[in-house]
Amino acid sequence: MQGATLVQIAVAAPLVAFAVLVAMPGRLVGLVRWTSVVGAAVSLAAALGAAATYDRTAAGIQHVSSLPFVPSLGIALTFGVDGWSLPLLVLTGVILLAGVFASWDVKERPRDFFALLLLLSGGVQGVFASLDLFVFFLCYEIAVLPMYLLIAIWGTSKRVAKGGPLGFVWSRLDIGGKEYAAMKLTLMLLVGSALVLFAMVGLYVAAGSQSFDIRDLAKVPFERNLQLWAFVALWVGFGSLAGVFPFHTWSPDGHAAAPTAVSMLHAGVLMKLGAYGVIRIGMVLLPEGARELAWLVGVVATVNILWGALAAMAQTDLKYIIAYSSVSHMGVVMLGAATLTVNGWNGAVFQMVAHGLMTALFFALVGLVYGRAHSRDVPQMGGFGARMPGIAVCFTIAALSSLGLPGLAGFGAEFLVFLGAWQGGQPVWAVAGLVGAFLTAVYVLRAAKAIFWGPYGQAASASDPPGAPDPYPDLSDARGVEWFSLAVLVALLVALGVWPRLGLDLIDVGTADYLPAVAGRALEVLR
Amino acid sequence: MVAFPPVFGMSAAVVGLATIVAPLAAFLLLGLLRPLRATGTPAAAVAIVAALVSTACAFALVFAGAPREAVADLTVPWLVSAGQTWATLGVYLDATSVPMLAVVTLVGLCVQVYSLGYLHDEPKESFGRYYAFHSLFLVAMLLLVVAKDLLQLFVGWELVGLASYLLIGFWWQKPSAARAAVKAFWLTKLADIGLGAAIVVLYVQTHALDWSPATVQALGPAGATLVAALLFVAVMGKSAQFPLHVWLPDAMEGPTPVSALLHAATMVAAGVYLLVRAWPIFDAAPDVRLAMAWIGAFTGLFASVVACAQTDIKKVLAYSTCAQLGYMVAAAGAGAIDAAYAHLIGHAAFKALLFLGAGCLIHAVHSNELADMGGLLRRLKFSGGAFIVGALALGLYPSKELVLAGVGHAGLQGPLVLLLAAAGLTAFYMTRSVLLALFGPASAHADHAHEAPASMLAPVLLLALLSVAGFALFDSVAPVLVAVRERPHSWLGHIAHGLALAGFAVGFALYGPRRRDALALPGVRAGLAFVRAAAVDRAFQAAYRMGLLAFSRSVAWVDRYLIDGVMNLSAFASQSGAERARRIQTGKTYDYLTAVVAGLLLLAVASVYAR
Repeated sequence: MQGATLVQIAVAAPLVAFAVLVAMPGRLVGLVRWTSVVGAAVSLAAALGAAATYDRTAAGIQHVSSLPFVPSLGIALTFGVDGWSLPLLVLTGVILLAGVFASWDVKERPRDFFALLLLLSGGVQGVFASLDLFVFFLCYEIAVLPMYLLIAIWGTSKRVAKGGPLGFVWSRLDIGGKEYAAMKLTLMLLVGSALVLFAMVGLYVAAGSQSFDIRDLAKVPFERNLQLWAFVALWVGFGSLAGVFPFHTWSPDGHAAAPTAVSMLHAGVLMKLGAYGVIRIGMVLLPEGARELAWLVGVVATVNILWGALAAMAQTDLKYIIAYSSVSHMGVVMLGAATLTVNGWNGAVFQMVAHGLMTALFFALVGLVYGRAHSRDVPQMGGFGARMPGIAVCFTIAALSSLGLPGLAGFGAEFLVFLGAWQGGQPVWAVAGLVGAFLTAVYVLRAAKAIFWGPYGQAASASDPPGAPDPYPDLSDARGVEWFSLAVLVALLVALGVWPRLGLDLIDVGTADYLPAVAGRALEVLR
Repeated sequence: MVAFPPVFGMSAAVVGLATIVAPLAAFLLLGLLRPLRATGTPAAAVAIVAALVSTACAFALVFAGAPREAVADLTVPWLVSAGQTWATLGVYLDATSVPMLAVVTLVGLCVQVYSLGYLHDEPKESFGRYYAFHSLFLVAMLLLVVAKDLLQLFVGWELVGLASYLLIGFWWQKPSAARAAVKAFWLTKLADIGLGAAIVVLYVQTHALDWSPATVQALGPAGATLVAALLFVAVMGKSAQFPLHVWLPDAMEGPTPVSALLHAATMVAAGVYLLVRAWPIFDAAPDVRLAMAWIGAFTGLFASVVACAQTDIKKVLAYSTCAQLGYMVAAAGAGAIDAAYAHLIGHAAFKALLFLGAGCLIHAVHSNELADMGGLLRRLKFSGGAFIVGALALGLYPSKELVLAGVGHAGLQGPLVLLLAAAGLTAFYMTRSVLLALFGPASAHADHAHEAPASMLAPVLLLALLSVAGFALFDSVAPVLVAVRERPHSWLGHIAHGLALAGFAVGFALYGPRRRDALALPGVRAGLAFVRAAAVDRAFQAAYRMGLLAFSRSVAWVDRYLIDGVMNLSAFASQSGAERARRIQTGKTYDYLTAVVAGLLLLAVASVYAR
């Protein structure tokens, strides 16, 4: 099969599955599930096929196809892939498949749930494969909007204690509630989208209103002022989806309220859309803006790493811990991007993959623990390892990857980013990143210990009389299809950790394609 | 480059690879096949066979008769950047790595065999898990030893940390073990920031990751000082140097064989091995070496003092490990890296012996407390005798003289005095432990104590034999193995021996036949020392609780109530603003008419002024 067709299938498969699901009667739950599995699996297989047929020596954008869409404005459904987008297409396929299996037991309106999940994933694949800025933006919106329904309908609420000088807002807002979280996430991301749209139209007009094709736009030497403001707009706009400080606060509430598979996809791939947008659109189209403002991106990313880690440390709700850890780890991606070095960029894209797998695993596990313990309050847990040993092992592996243990995917990614930071003349960023890895070790291992280690029911028995009923009667290990998503994600974390070149060889090609133009220097100097 | 002679008819590098692959295969089998793991003893057999293969390969390499300059190198490209490989993974054998391979595999094997008896009563599933962790540990440690560059060494280094976390926390349901495991991981990880940064600096400055003279040349004096200092921070964490030693005594929460493996012979030795391995870098950084000499010597004395005040036999040994690591670090600081390496290897043998011997005693009385022992030698002739051999070796091992001579040669009087005092104390506290545990009146527990099973005794006796052999043949073996200079028969050696004998004598006088309420006796000084040891620990705890956790809570507060508060405020403002604006829509005609009139008037006024 032609590579171009494979790319089209990778994007279209989830959307076709979405259309089939919408037409399907909702009571056929089994058929609904398996349609979703097929949609996800076909997308994954096509993405893998596209990666396998990509010619690394030729490099550049390959597998290009184009269909006219709005010819009068120069908009076309142009798809194609490079060394960066391929690993991310595969990642999306993997996480979608794992997410489908993780939501196997969704009871409430399963057809609608799976349909929205696939629509969202089709949007994500569209962003990664799109070569037309308008289509890129369109897919970006398709990826973001279903989130509102998914969280507001299938989510869970939580009470957040009133406090602070702005406590009066509690009178109007149900802070922590699922509708609140869904609305907040959507609104904050839409403000970001507005900025992106603004910059996009600005670039289109400045380039002569001929074409939205990213390859054409990349050739235009935009004037300095435009580069600066458009870069800021794209950075903040896309960055809000990547959790860039201080526009990250939708993330903890949103991820905590979302159902398992939605958290997996959102933290696993949607946040990557933001970072991908900043690098692939913001930096590649606006090299001068990127060079001038890299210091700002880097400083904010450093804040992200440390702030996210410290905030995670103080949380007692399991989902909030993982959500803040995503804020911290996405900081590593942005830090790598800001270094404008080969190692930094390789690390940034590799971290997207590594963090995507790791956080999807985390959220899958959190969903399993929550489904059995009916609580997310970590201090009340303890000794769960005896009742769910497999879950405990997987949680430990995710934790170790997140703290950057060699042999798991997170190590290569973080190490390359810190190396790039120092090479880029910013030792402080590198040291801050290393400190962030230590802080991660503190909060993830603390959480793992509090949940799984120690004697069972310790916290509960402190106040209860002896012989009190089991506080967590439903605890059990993962079962049946639940193992599937865990096993796949763990296996990939280990595979990419032991042999990072599985992903890195491709990513390196993409970096070599784009970096010299952005950094304004020869590739050899940037190694 | 001189090639390594073939071993078993194969290239030496392949045999070196086999030392890693065997335990790796065992780990994968035990880790992935739950039914196999749950069989208990057969699972242990898998791990032990793998360790045996590994040990055989390692010793074959030692006895291959390779010249000192021989090198075997088998690496594959691991990380790429702009199409070019810059980090490799593989096996690098030379005169530095081969002896360490043998030490690690042999101690690992002894401990695994010993554990068969020691953990006999564990449930089958966790017995299998134990051996899976042991195999992982061996893989990690061997990866570290055969590393060709700092990045692979770092990989092994971190995996050793992981394995020790898992083994210390082996009894994970015990809260104290869970705490100790996490604490050990955190403290070493904190120190590893130094190693990570060192690798980054080395690469940025030289575009290389190794420790060859060419790389050091490219690094320049300032770069070498920075890299060496950063590396040393990691060494302090791993090798438990003051004040980062606080995790080591807690780590005794793991099963005793684990203590022997990780915290005596191999894991903590990784720090010193890094000093040996990356010596050219340290050699080029005299300022860092001066700090090393002082920190090592201070740790040596400090930990020796604290060891005198311990009532738990494993804690005595733990602090004595700290102290001996201090000797090695001080030797490296003085430039006597051969002495440090010799002491590392010797210490590995006799400290494993001491821990495993202590394990036999603990096994017999079901208690770590010296007070619960006493008079055990009558019933435990073999393990008691082996423990005495270990204690004598710790007090008098020849490599200690090399260390002292090295420090003396370098003209470091201060560290020398500290280390000499530590030598005397070492003899004292080992005498105390031996007399309290093995001699004197039998405790209540000692009456039904029985000798350990053969699976435990065999490794203990083997290690005792090796310690004696190492003692007797030191002058002929050490120069071959680690290229030490000839042992100087200087006045330093006599002083050291004299102090050790004095230590033995004082110990004998205090705890000998006419012992008084012995555990209370060391009195004021040791009591103070204990307080000081705990003070360091408490300082870390305070920094963690009142510093880090409190700070993180304030960050989370700001995040929730100020940063997010502003977002919420904007939602609040737009909602309430919209509600206000809605009130205009009253539906009453005269309100709208008023508004129209008012608007017209405004326009009229505005048009007048605009002109």
